Amino acid sequence: MKLLRVVASYFKNCRDNFMIDLISKSKRTSEDKEYELHEIDEGLYVYNTVAFVGKNASGKTTAVELLDCCYSILGEFRVENKTYQYDHVTLDIIFYHEGMIYRYFTKLEADASLENKAVFTDQHIFQKKYYKSRSKSVYDERDFKEMEDLGSLPEDTSIVFFVLKKKQTRALYFDSEGKGASTYQLLFKALRNYKISTEVLADIIHIFDENICGLQMVDDNNYKLLYKAEQKIVSDTELVHLLSSGTTKGILLYTMAAASLQMGFDLIIDEIENHFHKTLVENLISFYKDKMVNRNKAALLFTTHYCEVLDLFNRRDNIWISKSKEKVYLENMYENFDIRTELLKSNQFNSNAFDTAVNYEELMNLKRKLME
Amino acid sequence: MKYLIMCEGPNELEIVKILLENDLLLFDKDELLNLIPYHARQIDKSPAVQLALNIYPGEVTVLRIGDGLTEKLRIPNKYKDKIIAVEKYCTKPELEMLLIIAENLLDEYNKVKSAKKPKVFAKEHIQCGHQKYDNSTRFYELYFGRNPLLLAASIKEYKRKHGSHKKEERYLADLLK
Repeated sequence: MKLLRVVASYFKNCRDNFMIDLISKSKRTSEDKEYELHEIDEGLYVYNTVAFVGKNASGKTTAVELLDCCYSILGEFRVENKTYQYDHVTLDIIFYHEGMIYRYFTKLEADASLENKAVFTDQHIFQKKYYKSRSKSVYDERDFKEMEDLGSLPEDTSIVFFVLKKKQTRALYFDSEGKGASTYQLLFKALRNYKISTEVLADIIHIFDENICGLQMVDDNNYKLLYKAEQKIVSDTELVHLLSSGTTKGILLYTMAAASLQMGFDLIIDEIENHFHKTLVENLISFYKDKMVNRNKAALLFTTHYCEVLDLFNRRDNIWISKSKEKVYLENMYENFDIRTELLKSNQFNSNAFDTAVNYEELMNLKRKLME
Repeated sequence: MKYLIMCEGPNELEIVKILLENDLLLFDKDELLNLIPYHARQIDKSPAVQLALNIYPGEVTVLRIGDGLTEKLRIPNKYKDKIIAVEKYCTKPELEMLLIIAENLLDEYNKVKSAKKPKVFAKEHIQCGHQKYDNSTRFYELYFGRNPLLLAASIKEYKRKHGSHKKEERYLADLLK
C-alpha cells in the first residue's frame, strides 16, 4: 500500500482542498530513479523523501499531521488520540494497493463519547486497475468504480478495512516534543514488534554514545546499561538524564527508521533538525535514498527549518513550502515557483525566493523596544 | 581513505554492483564511501554523492567509470581538500563492447564498426533467454548477474584487445583482482 494523494477540507486551520500529492511530477532522470524515487508499479513513481519547509506557524506541522491522519486510517482504520478537532473534516485519499488504485472519501466527526476518537460518516470508496499506459491519469475520476455492498462496521472504523483487511503499521509519526521517560518503553516495544535485533540497537546507541555497548530492559521502568567495563541498572527517568534527552530522542528515532527501512513503512518527522546533529540528519536521509538500504520502498517525510537539507534533494517536486494567510496552504517548489535550477536551493531559500524569510521589520521592532 | 565510485550511467552502476557483490574487485564495500557505488556524472549535480561526502570526514579518491568520460569532473570548493585524486576507467566506445566480447562477436563487430555503434550492433545480435538487448539495466542484471565470471573475463579481454586508451584513461580490468 502506498499513499498517493490526499485532499482535505476543514482540517485544522487549512484552506479548503488542502492537497499533498506524492506522485512524481517533473522529469525523471536515471539518477532520480536510483536515488529519489520508488517505482511502486510499472511507470508509477513516488518519492523516497519529502520535505515541508516554511516560516514558524506557517503550517508545516499541520501538513505532516494530515499525512499521519491518513496513515492512521490506512493502517489502523481509525483516527484517535490526535491533538486536533475531527468535526467536519473531509478527506479524499487516493492510495495504491496490489495493482489497484483506490479513492476513499470520508467525513470525520468527533465521537459522541468522552473518548478522543473520530467517527467516519459519508464514506465512499472507488477503485480502478492501474495500467502503465494510464500512469499520467492516475487521478482521473472517470474510470473509478464505486465499491458497493461492503458490509457494516462500527462507526469509528473506516471502510478502508474492506480493502486492506489487516491492521498494519503504514507510517510512524514523530512530533517535535519527544516522549521523555516513556521513550525507552516505546523503544523496546518497537524492537519486539518490528523484530529489530539487539545488534542493530547496539550500533544505533554507539552512534550517539561511543562508551555504551548495549542496553537491556530489566522491567517496564528499569534498564541495564552496558559500558565496556561496567553495567548499571537505572530507571527510565535516570536513563534520560544519563544519556541526555537529545540522545534519547535520537536513539528512538534511529530505531524507528531502522524499523521503517526493514518493514517498508513510512516515517514522518516533525522538525527533523530538532532531534540530532546535522551529519545524523544527512545520514538518515541518505539511508532512504539508498536502494541497498531502503529495499522495501519506505519513505521519509519531514518538516524542517534547516534549508541546507533541501540541497540534498535532486528534485523540486518533493519539496513543499507552507504558507499562512489567515488559513494555511502549501506551494510546491516545482509547480508554483519558477526558479533557476542551477542555484542551490538553500541559497534561494535564504534570498527569500519562496517568501519564507522572517519579517525583518518585526525583528527590528523588537530590537528597538529592547534598546529603549 | 575511501573510494567514491561514480558511474556515468545506470548500466555501468549495475556492472560495478555485480563485480562488487561477487568479490571480483580489488576492494570491498567497506572501502567504498558510504559502502556503495554511485550513478553520478558530476558531484555538484548529485545530492546523493554530496550526502556521502558530507558524512565521511576523511580523504576520498574518486573512481569515474563510463564510456569515454570526456566531460571534466568539477570538484566543488568545499570538497577540494577532501578529494585527493580522480581516476578515469573507460569502456570506449560504449559499454556494450563487454556484451559483444562476452558473445564472441568481436570479430564480426569489427567488420562493421565504422558504420555501426556497439549499442546498435548489440540490439541486433544479442539476447538473453527470450529478451533482446534493449539498453536496459535489467538486461545487464540478467545477462551478467548470473554469470559474473563471464563479466570479469570480458572486461579483461576488452583490455587485451583495446590497447589504445589514452594515458589517463585506465581500464575496468585494472580494478579487477
